[in-house]
Amino acid sequence: MPLSAARLAALAVVMAAALLAVVAAALAFGSAGFDIDMIRTLRAPRVAAAAGVGALLALSGLAMQSLLRNPLADPYVLGTSGGAAVGALLALMFGITITAGAAAGALAAGGLLLWLARRALATTDDASPRLILAGAMLAALTGAMASLLLALTPDQRLRGAIFWLVGDLSGAADGGASLAAAAVFAAWFVWRERALDRLLLGSVAAHLLGEPVKRLRFELLLGASLAAALAVASAGAIGFVGLVIPHALRLAGVQRTRDLALLAPLGGAALLVAADLLARTVALPIELPVGAVMALVGAPVFVWFLARGER
Amino acid sequence: MSTALLRARALGLAAAGRDLVRQLDWQVEPGQRWCVIGRNAAGKSTLLRALAGVGERGVAQRGELHWQHRPQRDWPATDAATLRAFMPQQVVDRFPITVARLLELSVVRARHDARAVLAGLDIDALAMRPVLELSGGERQRVALAQCALQGAPLLLLDEPVAFQDPAHQAQVARWLSNSLPSDLALVISAHDVNWIARTATHVLALLPDGSCEQGAAQAILTAGLLERVYGCRWREIGGVWIAD
Repeated sequence: MPLSAARLAALAVVMAAALLAVVAAALAFGSAGFDIDMIRTLRAPRVAAAAGVGALLALSGLAMQSLLRNPLADPYVLGTSGGAAVGALLALMFGITITAGAAAGALAAGGLLLWLARRALATTDDASPRLILAGAMLAALTGAMASLLLALTPDQRLRGAIFWLVGDLSGAADGGASLAAAAVFAAWFVWRERALDRLLLGSVAAHLLGEPVKRLRFELLLGASLAAALAVASAGAIGFVGLVIPHALRLAGVQRTRDLALLAPLGGAALLVAADLLARTVALPIELPVGAVMALVGAPVFVWFLARGER
Repeated sequence: MSTALLRARALGLAAAGRDLVRQLDWQVEPGQRWCVIGRNAAGKSTLLRALAGVGERGVAQRGELHWQHRPQRDWPATDAATLRAFMPQQVVDRFPITVARLLELSVVRARHDARAVLAGLDIDALAMRPVLELSGGERQRVALAQCALQGAPLLLLDEPVAFQDPAHQAQVARWLSNSLPSDLALVISAHDVNWIARTATHVLALLPDGSCEQGAAQAILTAGLLERVYGCRWREIGGVWIAD
C-alpha cells in the first residue's frame, strides 16, 4: 500500500534521526576511544565520506532503475561500478587522476550497457531478462579485467589496488565532494520528477505523453555513471546499497521518484556509515573491508525483508 | 478547410515482406468512432501504432499521414501529446504506483472530469490500489481512463475490451458512445462484431490482400464483407452476428 503524506513525513523523520544516530555513534566509537582530535582529523572525514558514498550509491541505483525500468538494476550488479574500478586501476597505472579514470570507466560501462539493451528497450519496453544478463556479463567482464590488472600490479602495491575491488573507506577523503554531488543529484531528481515518473510507465508511454525520452535516458545514464564513479573513486566498488535502499523504500510504500530521491540518500548514507562503523570496530585491531561487512549483514536482512513483504 | 484529425493518403504498411495495408486513403473527423476489423495478424495493431506515431522495427511505411494539417513527422512530441492518445494492446507495469498517481501522470491537458471518467468505467473504487495488483480487465479499463484523461481529441485504442466480461464490454461501449465530448474521434481495433455494431459509427476493414474497405458501420457490416475479412461464413439472426 502507498504511504499517506503523514506516514511519509514520519518515515523521513525516522530515517533522518537514524542517520544522525549512526553518525554520532561512528564519530564516538573506534579503535582509539573518545578523543576530540582523533574525531576531528580522522573519524569525521571518514564518516562524511561514508555518508557521501552511501548517498551517491543509493541515488545511482535509483537512476539505473529508472533508466532500465527495472527495480533490480544497480550499478554494482550491472557492471558500472566494475567499469569505474577498472578505470581507476588503469588511471593508477598510467598516473592519471583516479576520479577521472573511474568516471571514464563508469561511463564506458554504462554506455555499453545501454547500447546492449537498446534494442530490447526499444521493442518490448520490458527488457528485464536480457538486460540483467547483459549487465551480469558486463560485471563479469569488468571483474575479469580488474583481476588481470591486479595480476600485473607489482607486489608492494597489490594491497592498495585490491581496495578498488572490495570496497574500503580507510583511504576515503573527499566526503564533501561526494555529499555535494549527492545533493545536486537528488535535486535533479526532484526537478525532473514528473518526467521520471512517466518514464517508469515505459518509454513508449512517456513518449506518447510528450516526454523527451532519449534526453531523459542520457541524463539518467550520465548521472548514474558519474555518481557510481565518484563513489568508487573514494571507496572502491561497494555493492548492495544501490539495489537495496530504493527497493526497501518501495517495499515500505514509497512510490514517487521525488520521495525516493529524498529518502534514498538518507538511507544509503545511514547504511554505509553503520556498515563502516561495524567494519572498523567489530574485529579490533583489524579493520574489515566495508563492502564485505555490508553484504554479510545486509543480504540476510534483505532476504528476510523480502520474505516478510510477500506474506 | 478540412476538419479531419487524421488523414491518410496512399498509406502503405508492410512487414516481413507482406503488405498489411495498401494504398489507404482515409480520414477521421471529430465525432466519428471508427472500428478497425481484420483477421489475426492482418495489421490492425501495426496500423494503430503507425497512426499513433510510435514506429515499429521491421515495418515499412509509405504514403502520407497527417494529423490535422501537419504531416505527422513534423509534430514535436510535446505537441503530439495534446493531439493523440494511444492505448496499446497490453501494458507491462514494473513499479507499484497507485491508479490515482498513474492517472495523474497521464494528464497532458486537463479537460475531462476525472471522477466522471472513473465512474463511467467502473474503476472509481480502484484509485488507491497499486497497478501491479489489478486484474487484466481492471488494468485495461484503467488504461482506457489514462487515454481519455490525457485530454487529446484523437483516441487510438488497440483492442480496449479484449479482457472485459460481458457486462463491462457493454459498459465500455456505452461510455465510448455517450460519455465522451462530441469533438473527439476514436479509432478502435476490435474483434467482436456485435460489440462493434453497437459502438462504431464507421468501420475500416483490413482484407487479407492488404486492400481496405471503409464506410458507415450500418452500411458496411454485411455478411459479404465479413466473409471477405474473416474467411468464414456469417449469419445475422435477430440483429446478432454469428460466425460459422
